[in-house]
Amino acid sequence: MDNFNMLMEGFATAAQPIYLLYALFGVFIGTAVGVLPGIGPAMTVALLMPITYSLEPTAAMIVFAGIYYGGMYGGSTTSILLNTPGESASIVTALEGNKMAKAGRGAAALATAAIGSFIAGTIATVLLTFLAPVIVDFAINLGPVDFVALMVVAFLTIGALLGGSILRGMASLVLGLFIGLIGVDDTTAQQRYTLGFPGLTDGIDVVLVAVGLFAVGEALYVAARMRKGPVEVMSMGSSSGNSAKWMSKDDWKRSWKPWLRGTFIGFPIGTVPAGGADVSTFLSYATERKLAKGKNKKQFGHGAIEGVAGPEAANNAAAAGVLVPLLTLGIPTTATAAMMLTAFQRYQIQPGPLLMETNGALVWALIASLYIGNLMLLILNLPLVGLWVKILQIPRPYLYSGILVFGALGAYSLNFATLDVVILLVIGILGFFMRQYGYPVAPMVVAMILGPMFEVQLRRGLQISQNDVSALVSTPFTWVVYGALILMFVASFFIKRAQKKMESAPLEQIEEPSK
Amino acid sequence: MQTAQKNLGEVLFALVFVVLGVAGVIFAGTIEVPDLEFGMGPRAFPYIVSTLMLVIGAGLVFQALRGQLGAAEDGEDIDAEASTDWITIGKIALFVVIHIVLIEPAGWPVAAAVLFTGASWSLGAKPLWRSIMISVILALVLQYLFGGLLGVSLPRGPLLEGVEFLNG
Repeated sequence: MDNFNMLMEGFATAAQPIYLLYALFGVFIGTAVGVLPGIGPAMTVALLMPITYSLEPTAAMIVFAGIYYGGMYGGSTTSILLNTPGESASIVTALEGNKMAKAGRGAAALATAAIGSFIAGTIATVLLTFLAPVIVDFAINLGPVDFVALMVVAFLTIGALLGGSILRGMASLVLGLFIGLIGVDDTTAQQRYTLGFPGLTDGIDVVLVAVGLFAVGEALYVAARMRKGPVEVMSMGSSSGNSAKWMSKDDWKRSWKPWLRGTFIGFPIGTVPAGGADVSTFLSYATERKLAKGKNKKQFGHGAIEGVAGPEAANNAAAAGVLVPLLTLGIPTTATAAMMLTAFQRYQIQPGPLLMETNGALVWALIASLYIGNLMLLILNLPLVGLWVKILQIPRPYLYSGILVFGALGAYSLNFATLDVVILLVIGILGFFMRQYGYPVAPMVVAMILGPMFEVQLRRGLQISQNDVSALVSTPFTWVVYGALILMFVASFFIKRAQKKMESAPLEQIEEPSK
Repeated sequence: MQTAQKNLGEVLFALVFVVLGVAGVIFAGTIEVPDLEFGMGPRAFPYIVSTLMLVIGAGLVFQALRGQLGAAEDGEDIDAEASTDWITIGKIALFVVIHIVLIEPAGWPVAAAVLFTGASWSLGAKPLWRSIMISVILALVLQYLFGGLLGVSLPRGPLLEGVEFLNG
């Protein structure tokens, strides 16, 4: 009951007019930027970081909550309306959503995505509300070796499971760890890898790496192989009137179960490392396809509404799930979560088991604003679709130039040092080559954040055990964690195999009738 | 021809990891260890990370030499068929460099306008005057929002010296 009171206090804070305005601002700008093609949620948070530099912590967190959920919403609009595949979290949505839009049912697709996201987001936030305090109660007793075990799991799953090749994922991860080493060692205050440059003693800022990899790297990569010709945006349903725009009774009937199933698939997967949105949307899509019967089943590959409703719900539920390890353990499991954690750190707030005790009011205000932001998004999204379509049509040269300018602004405003913009460019070029040669960039960002935390815990753990390495597997908790790790790898092997089968199947079906 | 070129690029990029790993191991040895240190010390983790990097890099070089290439990333605005346009990349990188050089002497708005105009021109935006117009408006709006309203201290530069509301 105590938690309930805390949440109510959170609502009291978040419902103050000025904070409501901040929340509205956050969801609006988050959606607007998230709609932009080529910009995923992590890049949205990284690019918009400078906006919050001068805000007080509560306001900043509320804006970030809005940006986080808004970015997720924006992505689905893009994948339904734009005739090309987009960020990984919404690719599955594009499979059916795009076909629906082509058949003149774009409005229904957007509606089921928005309502499904709202329902899933709300249920998942409720789950987060009740689950977080329980995990904190448990995590507060964990020692350094237990955290080492958790982080080993995070490293291995993120490095191995993101992207197509294990070796490339691990390379990206290790590169992140390496960059994280640059600067002064937390424990002994010795300089490491600074090569005598005074500008490097504070290390390389994670924001710089994220903006460099996501914004500059992406802009360079698109520049190298830009799709020529006009941007193809789908029209919004039938032109005759309003009646055809909205979801029909049948659409509702076919949507509500996928929404709920998506929610309960997405949330748990979101809470485990590397679960993220990808895996959950894929699993939800596979489930809906399997469960569909008769006529509806035949529609899969040609615009089945279940294939939009389920994955979109799963996507948003996973986004809330990701916040569980972030807020309770201080462990980011996706690049977006890593950016959120960086935002916390800028305000000297260290997420972890103690967060709810030391900054309880802030955390609950953040959670309360997630509920509020979700509601705002539902209200905003449908009437504003026309605006999002306009944003989608921005000519690409201007779009990517704007991203570059904004990225440079973010880099410069970190410390008002031009050296930071130089580092930004170097990392941007690195990001370009990583994309070119198929290295996933997300593990690098997560590792940069997790690496220093991991080292501190590892050294603390070994100091307690007086350098006895067997201490790393000495507690029952570590046995459970390492055991789960092995299980997870076995499971992922089967999921990946199914995913490959799946990805090749619908394509064949789609291409046949078109010619 | 195309694949041979990509092949070489992949091998070279994988070699970067090897080189970084070797450098990491060498420089880890130069990190000073305090006398009172009785735990792992500040060197151990750098050694572990650098060694891992070396091993993974070697594995990548081996893979690339055997012709197991990575799949280039997809994207909404990416033409998967197109070959890499190095000239455009070079132009954009050059404009970022010019931006960096200009920030302090000419002020952030000027530097930003140059970056936007240059980048959009490189990406094929036409006509040039429209890029210039958009860039000036964008730079001034951003300067006003961040410098004027949010209090981020972006340098205005000598051109806009007297304009108080753009003050960073």
